[in-house]
Amino acid sequence: MSNATAQNAATEEKSEEVIDLTAANAVIDKYLTLHGNLMPVLQGIQDEYGYVPKPTIDLVAERLNVYPSQIFGVLTFYAQFHLKPRGRFIIRVCVGTACHVQGAPRIVETFFDKLHIGHAETSADLRYTFEKVACLGACGMAPLAMVNDATYGAMTVQKVDAIVADYNQRPMKK
Amino acid sequence: MVNLTIDDKQVTVAKDATIFDAAKAAGIRIPILCHDKKLHPFGGCRMCLVEVEQMKGRLIPACTTPVTEGMIVRTTTDEIMTARKLVLELLLLKHPLDCPVCDAAGDCDLQNLTYEYKVNANKFTDEKFRWDIDYENPLIERDQNRCIHCGKCSRICDEIVAFGAYSFVNRGIEAKISTPFDEKLDCEYCGSCISVCPVGALIAKPFKFKARWWALNKVKSVCSYCGTGCQLTLGVKDNKVLTTVYDEDQGFHNGQLCSRGRFGYQFINSDKRLTTPLIKKNGTLVPASWEEAIDLVVSRLSEAKKSDPSSVAALVTPRLTNEELYLFRKLFKDVIGTDSIDHSAGYAHKALTEGLKESFGITASPSLIEDIQKTDLLLVLKSDAYETHPVIGFEINLAVKRQGVDLRILSDKSGKLTRLPDAKKYIHKPGSEILLVNAIAKSILDQNLADPAAQSLPGFDALKSALAAVSIEQISAAAGVPVEAITRLATDYAKAGKALILLPIGLGYPGHGSELTSALANLAILTGKLNKEGCGILILGEKNNSQGAADLAIHPTAGGRDAGAILEGCTSGAVKVLYIAGENPVVSYPDKAKSVKALESGAFVVVQDLFLTETAQMADVVLPVKSFAEKCGTFTSVGRNVQQIRKAISAVGQSRSDREITAELISKLSGAACGGSSAEIFTEIAASTPGYSSLSTDSLGDNGVIYPVVITPKLVPVVGVVPETEEGKFALLIGSSLYHCGTMSRYGEGPMLVCGESYLELGRTDAGKLGVSEGDTIKLKSAAGELNLKVKVGTRMPEGVVFVPYHFETSAINSVTAGNPVTWVTLSR
Repeated sequence: MSNATAQNAATEEKSEEVIDLTAANAVIDKYLTLHGNLMPVLQGIQDEYGYVPKPTIDLVAERLNVYPSQIFGVLTFYAQFHLKPRGRFIIRVCVGTACHVQGAPRIVETFFDKLHIGHAETSADLRYTFEKVACLGACGMAPLAMVNDATYGAMTVQKVDAIVADYNQRPMKK
Repeated sequence: MVNLTIDDKQVTVAKDATIFDAAKAAGIRIPILCHDKKLHPFGGCRMCLVEVEQMKGRLIPACTTPVTEGMIVRTTTDEIMTARKLVLELLLLKHPLDCPVCDAAGDCDLQNLTYEYKVNANKFTDEKFRWDIDYENPLIERDQNRCIHCGKCSRICDEIVAFGAYSFVNRGIEAKISTPFDEKLDCEYCGSCISVCPVGALIAKPFKFKARWWALNKVKSVCSYCGTGCQLTLGVKDNKVLTTVYDEDQGFHNGQLCSRGRFGYQFINSDKRLTTPLIKKNGTLVPASWEEAIDLVVSRLSEAKKSDPSSVAALVTPRLTNEELYLFRKLFKDVIGTDSIDHSAGYAHKALTEGLKESFGITASPSLIEDIQKTDLLLVLKSDAYETHPVIGFEINLAVKRQGVDLRILSDKSGKLTRLPDAKKYIHKPGSEILLVNAIAKSILDQNLADPAAQSLPGFDALKSALAAVSIEQISAAAGVPVEAITRLATDYAKAGKALILLPIGLGYPGHGSELTSALANLAILTGKLNKEGCGILILGEKNNSQGAADLAIHPTAGGRDAGAILEGCTSGAVKVLYIAGENPVVSYPDKAKSVKALESGAFVVVQDLFLTETAQMADVVLPVKSFAEKCGTFTSVGRNVQQIRKAISAVGQSRSDREITAELISKLSGAACGGSSAEIFTEIAASTPGYSSLSTDSLGDNGVIYPVVITPKLVPVVGVVPETEEGKFALLIGSSLYHCGTMSRYGEGPMLVCGESYLELGRTDAGKLGVSEGDTIKLKSAAGELNLKVKVGTRMPEGVVFVPYHFETSAINSVTAGNPVTWVTLSR
């Protein structure tokens, strides 16, 4: 093998995700005999990894004997699945009608400035993922933001500072 | 049956028919984009909307709606026409309308329907798609901007090909057909998706910008690669075969083709084709006239004939037509008087000419390809049946997925077949097939599952006493298959209502000879799985006319030399003239050194071929021949189907057909005129060949005729030998790559673009142990020699077993193998 090809191979290896498949195998083991097991398996894998890594898709394809193309079809059909790593903290700001009239756009802008990421983006350190959402179903609390399962009502620009400061301190491990 | 009225016409159809089927049966055309007769109904395009009296209030899709008694259907009301026009407007909204540069133009369902429904304006406006076009893979160009989301590509790849390359991805307006992770297509390249694409979203790259569809002359013929005998339509322009054209009404396979059938036609007009005869002068092959070449061949043959006819020998490829094979046999056996004539090193016919001959008294399979989908249990020897006979592989896919056939695979490695739903695989140690089949027979007898009628058949007692010495436990240990699995397979096979055995043979299957065939035939005879639909044994010959070569006895029948002995005879000096027609022993026969030595021995060697092959380069005279596209004749395919090929183009260069050359040699050597058309020779064949007596070229028509056979079953005990193993070494298996067939496919552009060089395939565990990964080079060493090969890591190979295809001259695997089912090798980085 020439040097150039050797180098190419090395970079390719690097770019390929290295994922510990133990957890994914455990999820598959759990649902292996269930009829119609693809959805729960993919959901279980996403719970474990925070997203559905490519090597797990190949693993699921092999162990469940489902075409990778079909799994990819399912993953891209449902909004609930993510193919790229997600932040430890998912910040969701409502931009529905009620929140919008209460100033949601400024809340969104402030998050963008503070986190240096845009809509549906994840910070490089994998701490944050930011998403604008249409309605969180609590219009009385407008403008509303959520960080993972915690709800923050009557949001202000100052509160954004406080939330970011707070979550910057929190540990990355679950 | 159900009665209904369509457009005031009374129709009676089966109760599982749809309105679309019923209309088709009544000769009423309903336009459709997403429907294919081979696929499950989809109901996606809404072009087939019709009105049903009993379901008023909305229009009904004809392709998914089952017929009911008394249904009154109308297919062309004003409302329907408006609705269909709307469907087309919506499709055209996103379609790029780049018809002037689209290869599908003229053969495009969307274009044709747009014209038919006069959609010359669109009341909607929208942006077009801007998907990236996949130019990256070698054979299939994918332009999703032209796609109309009929899903046929994805469905055919799942339902029939069972590869699953495509799926719908994303949702709503973002939805498109794509590959996993939106990566470039990496599949089997059978091109089934191209054949069913109603627009130009999927096109054959090698044909792009070659010719307009309507400018092609379409000639029906039969594929010249494997023995399946798929019918195909050649697209011809300016005396060149430019493509293969899909025709869903061709053959048992409904126009389905594999990668080499669809994309391997370029050998016909390859610029590597021989165009003049060549004669070796001063050690170099130089162009010569036909007259000079034929005179030289005739003088050498007549000289040898005079001194000792048995000093003449011939190796003839089973790729030739029946007519040509017949003349070859006449030339050598009758005119010259030598019985030393053989083909495919014996691997492609001993299962038929010795195995079946002994067990059934005939040299052809008692079963047919159609039996695959009609059986209950299918026992396939080697998972590579899919690789060597891909379209029969599609039949197996359909049998399992549609008909619920119970698939059992007895193989030394996994493969695509072993991944089919509920397929049961019995992965055994290489070389232990006969042992295992004997163990199954023994278990059938032990469990008293033998058919009572079998007990009175000849050989029953001999088999019974031979099997008495067999120990299932010992075989289980030797073959690596658990005792329970063997006995269970025996029970299931014997108790199945119908069971069919598939056995592929050829140069890629060194162990699949007469003994394994008889062992398998014993199973069918013992359990009475014969002479019934969906039962018996089907031998899959490797080449397009392997069955014909067996029928016409292109092998020694009166003590002459077989292929191996012919080569040895050249070396020893006993064979003075070796006539090779289309065979390439240097690359495809086992033990390359033996072939090279034979050709260098001083025997006068005549080679007639399409190309200056590795063997032709060593000849004294080389004669250029016509390809299957330049001549007429018949091939006999798997399951005894005799089919016609048709001349599509005139001869390339000065080439002559093997028939013309052989006829001239016969005339000159015998002094009696030998000529006649293919049809006339076929009449002679019919008169002299068992089974062919009722056939004539007129009766063959487009679909060919399956000739009848009568079998006389006999149980034949065969002894399995425990395969030797060598500690610390790898078991090397040779075989066929999916994209190739013999050595001819190397001259086809398509197969070479996908698989252009040899490789060594091994499992992940072994790759890990050896510290090699995909694309690395590995050194393979056997007692006979060593080779460097590219590594391919996959999931097919069990630990300790590696695979190398046999088609290639560079790193030729026959330089390290000698024709044994297993060769023990060491591997190192």
